[in-house]
Formats: sequence, structure tokens, C-alpha cells
Amino acid sequence: MADHLVVEHLTKVYKRGDVLALDDISFSVKKGEFLVLIGLSGSGKSTLLRCINRLIEPTAGKVYFDGIDVTAASSKDLRHLRRRMAMIFQQFNLVKRSSVLTNVLSGRLGYVNPWLSAAHQFPHPEIKMAMANLERVGIPEQAYKRADELSGGQQQRVGIARALMQAPELLMADEPVSALDPATSHSVMRYLELMNREDGVTVIASLHFLSLARRYGTRILALKDGKIVYEGLPSEIDEARFKKIYGEEAEQVEVH
Amino acid sequence: MAKRPSRLKSTRANSLPALLGAIKPRLFAFLLDWASWGYVAYAVMFLINRYWFVRYVNFYGTLTLPIWGWPLVVLSTLELVVLGHAFGHSIGLSLFGLRLLTHSHRFPRTQDRISRYLWWHAAVLLLPVSLWRSGRECLLLHDVRSKTYMVPLAEVKDELPVTKPRPWYLTNRGLMTVALIGLTFWVGWLATQINLERLFSRAPKSAYLWKALVTPDFEHLAMPDPELKDSIMGGMLESIFMALLATIFGGLIAFPLSFLGARNIMGFSPLGWLIYTLARAFFNIFRSIESILWAVVFAVWVGFGPFAGVLALTIHTIAALGKLYSEQVESIDPGPLEAIAATGARRWQVVLYGVIPQIIPSYLAFSLYRWDINVRMSTVIALVGGGGIGRILFYYKGQVGRLSNAWNQVGAVVFAIVAVVWLLDYISGRVREKII
Repeated sequence: MADHLVVEHLTKVYKRGDVLALDDISFSVKKGEFLVLIGLSGSGKSTLLRCINRLIEPTAGKVYFDGIDVTAASSKDLRHLRRRMAMIFQQFNLVKRSSVLTNVLSGRLGYVNPWLSAAHQFPHPEIKMAMANLERVGIPEQAYKRADELSGGQQQRVGIARALMQAPELLMADEPVSALDPATSHSVMRYLELMNREDGVTVIASLHFLSLARRYGTRILALKDGKIVYEGLPSEIDEARFKKIYGEEAEQVEVH
Repeated sequence: MAKRPSRLKSTRANSLPALLGAIKPRLFAFLLDWASWGYVAYAVMFLINRYWFVRYVNFYGTLTLPIWGWPLVVLSTLELVVLGHAFGHSIGLSLFGLRLLTHSHRFPRTQDRISRYLWWHAAVLLLPVSLWRSGRECLLLHDVRSKTYMVPLAEVKDELPVTKPRPWYLTNRGLMTVALIGLTFWVGWLATQINLERLFSRAPKSAYLWKALVTPDFEHLAMPDPELKDSIMGGMLESIFMALLATIFGGLIAFPLSFLGARNIMGFSPLGWLIYTLARAFFNIFRSIESILWAVVFAVWVGFGPFAGVLALTIHTIAALGKLYSEQVESIDPGPLEAIAATGARRWQVVLYGVIPQIIPSYLAFSLYRWDINVRMSTVIALVGGGGIGRILFYYKGQVGRLSNAWNQVGAVVFAIVAVVWLLDYISGRVREKII
């Protein structure tokens, strides 16, 4: 299968403090893969994901999505590319004061008539689609509540529903379960797995726990200090490789 | 004792910005200390003028300096600053985080300090040359010769020995701070003609006024005064409407402007920076002009009356709310903006769906608070023809001597203002509680 996403020599230097967050990263992702990024905090996982859809502007290097150069895209082309790659976040990043339904509908902003959206109106099919997606993540009864009235796991499901609204080809998840307890983590991860298996969405997720990475990932990419230190199958990470990624003093912690 | 190596990284200045960066805290500390000594000189002159016979007087009978006096003041204050910097730790140095140390980062000995003080005079005379010759750490002639220099405290915090701090009366900055505060209080007391004797001895004379104010005459509360052709309630309603319309107009105009004055919306491009700076400058300039001055302008423009008052309050409201609003925009959670931008939304859609829902409650709260302020302000702008309750207040104040119960009428107006402001404050407080 063709490479869905190709990252070439991606480098990011934060001007403030001269921090080299990403150091010449190259990898590619095939269509339908579930790629898991692992690494310590500050290893560059979040920066890498945000450089792919240019929420953060990379310093050097190229990103190709479906053969299109994302890094060279004009602002209009970038918007069209972003519609096709959804993102969910560690802190859910919902608009807390808006209703759950509005939050889900905002995933559709790239598609709908901008004039209509300026008046906070969405066409009927989009609203039906939003309700269907809320149904899919199991919280249709919460649609009219304010987003901050929901529990953490429910909020992340709203985040997933918002991503589903984009009918994405690629889903990027930036530590989607770090703020959740283990039981909720698995239920959220299962929705990502479902999107991956049923809709054929390519997933790139950064995760803290190796056990989650082993359980859900089809391939693992480990980052350390902005460099790729391991790339391969989840089952191949043994004790030595683990120490290399997480440092000598690390212990494996399981999440069941 | 082992000789400690010099800690200087010194090389020749590689660029002008580097030189300026190194010299800036020193220059600012120097200027600040010089200014504070200059202030001491001014205060001393003021006091001499006030308490002692002076020989050199100007046309107004106050002390002036002979022609040689000004250079003397300038030079002596300069010497005092330099002495303070060489032998102690001045206010300026501590504010800008500088410390006099030797090149090997020890506390300097007395002979180093004397040498620094003497060499300073040569350095300042040869300033252009020694600036040119100074290295990356900006070592001037006296820094080099006395083997001491001003070290940014942040860089050496960990290597300095812990010493017991001296009591304030033995330190330069302690004495100077006390002197500055004391002189300010002394000169300020004289300059504002504070007179406690008069405050107490003449208290009985104002008794009738107090008595009248606390026994208000509500005759014209609702019944229009035939001469004024208005009642207190009429004036009050006028004020409330003035304040309300000014708040609504001001808030509506400040709303879009507040995005222009928010760093996180305008970004860091040169154009964004320019607009941000212009918006912030507008808020600050227009906010610093009191609405009573705007009322003067608009009373001339559109004539006396509440319309001029509404315009004056509106201008001030735009600036004040604009500033508060834009600070609110700057403090929002950036997460949702990122999430909405990632869906492929346009920039303005991000503002509409990510920013506005976050700021609406505090905007409403600030606007309510502003309404409250505007009611209070509207009493004062009547002084220059702004209309409202203030017009009635100053009318009755003007009738003192003609009407026997003028002060009682004033008291009634004051009661009405207090009641309305209290009520508005209570309501806006409750509403704020509800929506935040």
C-alpha cells in the first residue's frame, strides 16, 4: 500500500531558549496503520504531531500527506488538508462553556458554508451527523449539556466525535488518555481502534504507557530528545530497548 | 590563599546590540540613582526656601541658584552617586540586580573601592574611547583598572558567600530609602498646605452643613422643582439612561477593538504587532483622559445636556472596557483554539467558536460593573454641562444663600445617588456571581 504520510528530515527549533525539539525526523505511515509514538515527556511527541498539521510551524523538513506537500501548502490548501486529518488532545480542548453538540459541530467548520457558521447555524444534515457521532461514542443523551459538565472520559469522547465530524483519513491523538483513569483509558482507546479497523482511518497516537502501546499499536516509533530511537513492532520492545527509550532508571508500569 | 582565576569571559564587543545589552542595566541604575539624588537636592532647596533666609531669590521671592550653583548641584549629585556605587549598594543597583565584585567574583576590598572611585573620573572623561575599547561584558576604564565590575546578580547568585545582612541604617539603600520617603512626606506636607489645626478648630463651623445633609428634604424627589423644571427622580433616571447607553455603545465598540489589542489573537507578525500596539496605545491614552474633559469637548460640540454626557462617558467606556476585554481575551485557554484550527476552520471561525464563548461571561460582568461606574461618573460631568443627576445636585448647591433649605435638598440628591449606586452594585454583583 502507498505511504499515507511521509515525514522527511523534520526539524523544529524553538526560538525561545534555542531548544531543538525535533532533530531530523524521517518516517512514513501506511494507510490503515495504528502508529504509536512513545517517549518521555519533552521527547518531542506533541511537537511532532503538531508539525504534521502545522499547528506548529516546522523549522525545516517536509511533510507529505497523500502525496501533497503539507509544509508548502497555502493557507487555503492547509485548511483543506487539515479537514482530512483530525486531532484529539490530552486536555480534550473542548470549548467548556459551549454545549456538547456545538463542540461536536465545530469539527465540521471546515466544510460548512462559512456565512451560515458565522450566524451559529448548521444545516440539518450536519446536526443529524453530529447526533449520529455522539451515538457512536455512546453519549447521545449528553448533547445539550455544557461540555464542562461531563466527566473526563466523556469529554474525550466528545473530542472523538468532533474528530469523526471531519470524516478524517488520518487521526492524530496527542496523549489521548493521559488525563484519564485506566478503565476509561481503555474505553477511549477502543474507540480509536474502532475508527482504525472499521473506517480504515490511519491513526498516530502518542501514549505514555508501553502496555497501551503494545495492546493497540501495529507499529511503534520511540522518540528521545527529538530523535527517533526505535522503530518497529510493539512485541519487539524488550528490556534493553525499553531502557534505551526511557532511561536506565525506568521501570515498566502496566495499565490493565 | 589560593589565587582565584578571573571569571571574565571578556572579549572585544562583537556587536552594538551586545554592548547595549550589557550597558543597559548599569546605565539605568546610574540614571535612577542620579535622579533620586537630584530629587533630594530639590527637596533640600524647597525646605531651605521655606525655613531659612535665602540670599538668592527670584522674582517670586523663592530661592534660586546663582549661575555657578547649577553645575555645582549637577556635579555634587553625580559625585554622590559614584561614591554610593563604589562604597555601597544603592537603590538603583539593587533594583537592576547588579553587584560590585572583583574580577574573580569576591567582594572588593576598600582599596579596590577607592581605586574604582578615582578611576571613574578618568573613565567618564574618556567615555567614548573607553566604550569603544570595552569588551563583551562592557568593562570601562575604571572596571579594568580597579579590577572590580558590576556583575548581574542572577549570574553569580550561587557562588556568593552567604553573609549576614547589615541593618538598614548601615546600608546605602536603606538610608537612601528612608531619606527619600521622609523628604517626600515633609515636602509633600508643605506643598499641599496640610493644616491639622484648621481641620479641627473649624469643625464646628461645618456642623450646620452636616446637619442639613443628614436631614434631607425630599420635597422634590418626585415632584418637579418649578424653577429647575425637573425632579430628583427625573435627574436620576436621566443619569441611569446616560450610563446605560454609554455602556452599551462603549461595549459594542470595545468588543471588536479588544481583539485587536490582544497579543494571542494578533500574533507576532509585524502588522499584527503594529495593530496591537496602536490598539493598546488608543486604550491607554483615551482611558487616561477623564470623562469630565471629554464632557467639556462634547458640550462645545453638541451643546449642553445629557447627549454630551453620553458621548463623554462612551469614549471613556470604550477605552476602559477595551483594555479590560483584551486582557480577558489574552487569558483564555488556548487549547480549544488549537483544536478548532486543527479541524480546518478559518481564522475568524476559530475566534467565533473558540474565543467568544470563553469571554462572553466576563465581558458581561465587566460591562455591568462599567454601568455602575458610569452612573457615578455621570454625577460629576454635570459640572461642565453633561446633564443627569449632577445637574440637580449642582443646582441646589448653587442655591445656598438663596434658599434656606438648599443643603437639605443637596442631601436628598446625595441620598438618591447613594441608594441607586448601592442598588446597581448589588444587582451587578448578583448577576456576576451567576454568570461567572
